[in-house]
Amino acid sequence: MWETLAQAVINGLLIGGIYALVSIGVTLIFGVVKIVNFAQGEFVMIGMYISFFLATQFGIDPLVSLAVSMPVLFLAGVLIQHFLIRRVLGPNDMPQIFLTFALSLLLLNLSLMFFTANYRTVHTSYSDEALHFGGLYIPVAKLIAFAVAMGLSGLLWVFLHTTDLGKAMRAASQNRDVAMLMGINPNRVFAVAFGTALALAGAAGSLLMPFYSAYPFVGQVFVLMAFVAVVMGTLGNVAGALVASLMMGVAESLGIQFVGADSGLIVVFALLLLTLAFKPSGLGARRGR
Amino acid sequence: MQALGKMKWLWIALAIVVMIALPQIVTSSFAIDIFIRILLFSFIGVAWNLMGGYAKQLSLGHAAYFGLGAYTSTIMQVNYGISPWIGMMAGGVAAMLASLPIGWLCFRLRGPYFTIATIATAQVLMLVFLKFRDFAWGAEGTTVPNLGSAPLMMQFEEKSSYYYVVLGLLAVGLWVTHRIEKSWMGYYLVAIGEDEDAAEAIGVNAPKVKRDIYMLSAFLTALAGTFYTQYIYFIDPATAFSFNVSIEAALVSIVGGIGTLWGPVIGTVLLETTSALLQSWLGSSVGGIQLTVYSLILMAVILWRPTGLIGFATDLYHRYARRKPAHA
Repeated sequence: MWETLAQAVINGLLIGGIYALVSIGVTLIFGVVKIVNFAQGEFVMIGMYISFFLATQFGIDPLVSLAVSMPVLFLAGVLIQHFLIRRVLGPNDMPQIFLTFALSLLLLNLSLMFFTANYRTVHTSYSDEALHFGGLYIPVAKLIAFAVAMGLSGLLWVFLHTTDLGKAMRAASQNRDVAMLMGINPNRVFAVAFGTALALAGAAGSLLMPFYSAYPFVGQVFVLMAFVAVVMGTLGNVAGALVASLMMGVAESLGIQFVGADSGLIVVFALLLLTLAFKPSGLGARRGR
Repeated sequence: MQALGKMKWLWIALAIVVMIALPQIVTSSFAIDIFIRILLFSFIGVAWNLMGGYAKQLSLGHAAYFGLGAYTSTIMQVNYGISPWIGMMAGGVAAMLASLPIGWLCFRLRGPYFTIATIATAQVLMLVFLKFRDFAWGAEGTTVPNLGSAPLMMQFEEKSSYYYVVLGLLAVGLWVTHRIEKSWMGYYLVAIGEDEDAAEAIGVNAPKVKRDIYMLSAFLTALAGTFYTQYIYFIDPATAFSFNVSIEAALVSIVGGIGTLWGPVIGTVLLETTSALLQSWLGSSVGGIQLTVYSLILMAVILWRPTGLIGFATDLYHRYARRKPAHA
């Protein structure tokens, strides 16, 4: 019993690390640019396909292809922010929601057209490896993904807290108008925030590739989880999103283990609805606000 | 002004005659199928637009009510032999009741997070209907028993009869929207859509107005669900709670003109015609092409004409109408 429970918690934490990369991106964009990127999951999908093609065409390990998927998606993020998102920033919700939503639909269906709905997998030397601790079982590929995900989250924290650009991003997310009065260039900050968020999604994609199949709809799984985590962790709060993502992963895993294989999502959504009902400002909300 | 009023009624009368005569003139069943899709999605768009368009509560979860309507009437028909006409009303009421707790939760969030919460509710309902096989057939779904010609059970041999049913639904939807547009409710909705805090400051009871319009929108959407199940003789959670229904409801309204009476209809005509043309040119072999084109149209509208095709047409009309007296 306890072993099953511990195993479910471990599985949940490991996949929660990937959820964290996606939701940190969503919450970063929301905090700084003040829009919700509905297409975040599609960039995970693109990251996966990049790693898939590098692995099958050139035999490059998915972990090495992080060095390709992250810069490519960073650049894509800067361009998307510059040419699309910038044009709809303003008080009106509708264009913002539906522009990124249209982008999500477009990327998803383009990949359906070009890559078909087939599941693509990459088999690495460590795909079937696992560590054993007593009765517990830790797949190496997932452990690596989790470790890299936490490392990247840590790097982001260092970037946001120690560099001028990172501080400018935090300032812009706390109070955009005052930040601009202090001489922060909003377009530059927005572009970096969007690029960073997409690079994290791309990293999530590459890290998933050794143990998860790539297919056009794969992003939807992760983006829903990320949205739930971002609401639970308080909108725009990076640390909140990280903690909430790990919780979501565990909740989903416990749901699968103890309620049934198809009820992981039900448990996750139930958590979302409970959060909305009892603490709509999220768990990371500061007191007295 | 009065002459214009009379002209308006003339146009409406003419449109009604054309719409009634249409399936008698164009009898190809492929064409009637497309007309039915256009009318159905116009109707769903109209139902969405009441809340999404006027009050700007941008839901992407209307499939929840489409599915509830479809399942309520089908369960009543298959398990208890109750006519889908009654089931349709029951489905509408079920959707209204469901919209109360769903709205209570989702309206705690604003803007994009309201949208996300609505997506989640529709997904939860789909998962629930997938999971509970005892009363709703689980993932396999079920076929609706084919009774041949049975108008009392909403089954017809002629495709054109389905056309008239959904035409009637659309007429009801447009009439309701028209009445609301001209009522205090309509002004409250637009005020909430413009700025919810400001609307509350001048005394609009925003939570109540949003709750009421959500109930009405859910009711109408559920009617479409029943109709669709009767039309295709099949139901399963994936079709009844299809995310594509939620998407298309919002898309047709935005492309046509969000928060306008005719916007959803015009948007549907454009999108469904495009989709039908694409299918006849390329066949259905290329997956994803339809939504690729939809998303490009949506992006173009948002970037260049956020008021939709109606706004575009009005701009053109004003440019033309203003120039005309200058020449005369």
